[in-house]
Amino acid sequence: MTLGDVLGVTAAGVVAGVDLVTVPQAMTGRPLVAAFVGGWIAGSPLHGLVVGAVLELFALETLPVGVSRYPDWGPPSVAAGALFAPDRLHAVPFWPSLVGVVLVAGLVAWIGGYALGLVRRANGAAIVRRCAALDAGDPKALIQLQAGGFVRDAGRAALLTVVALGAGGVVVGVVAALWRAPAVVAQAVLLTVAAGVGAASVWRLFGRGRNARWLLAGAALGTAAALVAA
Amino acid sequence: MRIGEVPGLSVATARLFGIQSAFSYERMLGIGFAHAIEPLLRPLRDRDGGARYREALARHAGFFNAHPYLASFAVGAAARAELDGEPPERIERMRTALCGPLGALGDRLIWAGWLPACSGAALALAALGARGWAVAVFLVLYNAVHVPLRAWGLRAGWVAGTRVAGALASPLLQRGLSVTGPAAALALGAAIPLVVAWVVRWGQPWETVWGRFLSVGLAAAVFAVAATRLRRRLSGLALAMVVLAGAVVVGVAWPMGVLAAGSVWP
Repeated sequence: MTLGDVLGVTAAGVVAGVDLVTVPQAMTGRPLVAAFVGGWIAGSPLHGLVVGAVLELFALETLPVGVSRYPDWGPPSVAAGALFAPDRLHAVPFWPSLVGVVLVAGLVAWIGGYALGLVRRANGAAIVRRCAALDAGDPKALIQLQAGGFVRDAGRAALLTVVALGAGGVVVGVVAALWRAPAVVAQAVLLTVAAGVGAASVWRLFGRGRNARWLLAGAALGTAAALVAA
Repeated sequence: MRIGEVPGLSVATARLFGIQSAFSYERMLGIGFAHAIEPLLRPLRDRDGGARYREALARHAGFFNAHPYLASFAVGAAARAELDGEPPERIERMRTALCGPLGALGDRLIWAGWLPACSGAALALAALGARGWAVAVFLVLYNAVHVPLRAWGLRAGWVAGTRVAGALASPLLQRGLSVTGPAAALALGAAIPLVVAWVVRWGQPWETVWGRFLSVGLAAAVFAVAATRLRRRLSGLALAMVVLAGAVVVGVAWPMGVLAAGSVWP
């Protein structure tokens, strides 16, 4: 990966990271989008899309509701999509590498949620420092606070992306070099937990009343389509 | 004054997209609320030497919490009430009263409705071979509701003023509530098996992996039940990370030759 790739991935990670809460919440930080962009920057959007689809199943578990703490999937997904590009993986086993990438992305997403709490506390401290100006109805204080919040969140997102790229690169390299089990073990475990987390989340959201009927109809339809289309 | 002639409406609409920029635990969306409403309050700068303008900004920088998209209703209604000269206590009461309904409505309509519906549709499209188009469809579909909702909310709030509660009973919103839940359930229900089938046959002929698809489906159902049971102690993500970390340890420590690829899986 060139320096230009790293800068591009970091910039995309910032866009994806600030999208979660700060601006504009257009869902460019969803794993499916962010990992696709990361893969595209690194030269293989299709590999990014695969990583994104797997991470999207995990991301169904948490909804970005107000004050609650939720993982930030944007920056680690961009990094994961970039790390999984085939030019990095030409001599590396596919499934163990995917397990490593997903593991790092999940951990960094959790750290991202924790860091979001720190940004909110820093915003609160900045507000306290400008309390007098706010009480006097000074519009400049509002602009400064909004800009400060954006800069803090952008810094958080950039740091997360770089950490995910660095840690992810190391973990994927180590896992790929040392993995000795058949690849189907990695495939089976990864798909089981990804689909399991997704299914549990969807059941929690829609597993009651008339939505449950739509959910079961969708599952039957999807399974039939998978078998027929194949 | 017609809604299109309201000064500052476009700037206020643009600022709504950053309403959570200075989100804090003490004031929640308060700072962003005041930042968004400020362009609409500028006509007040010429009255009473700007005292009412400054008082209004200070008032709206206080605590406010709602769904970020639907907060636009409250911004529009509060701006109208300020310009109409409503008593400050009444405006405060209206802001406070709107927090709960706007939060609950937005959570159901967007976070538990439209977002999972779009996500499910995009996942299904990706699995069926749409490639990058799946991402494009997701972004266009999602934002085709998101962006107009913010803009419409501001205008509906402005038109309704202190009677904004009535605007929340809009048939459009109620229809949206009744449609998004089933759409999301259907889309996600279909998407999960499609994604598993797509990924499981990566680079392999279907004849050799269809058994894995069914086995993974069964194992995922067992994992989902376990994750649901353990949810109070451990999130599904945390459980998944523990299992994946365990898989890495097992994969690295695997005794060579004990299990050849394909000896267990069809």
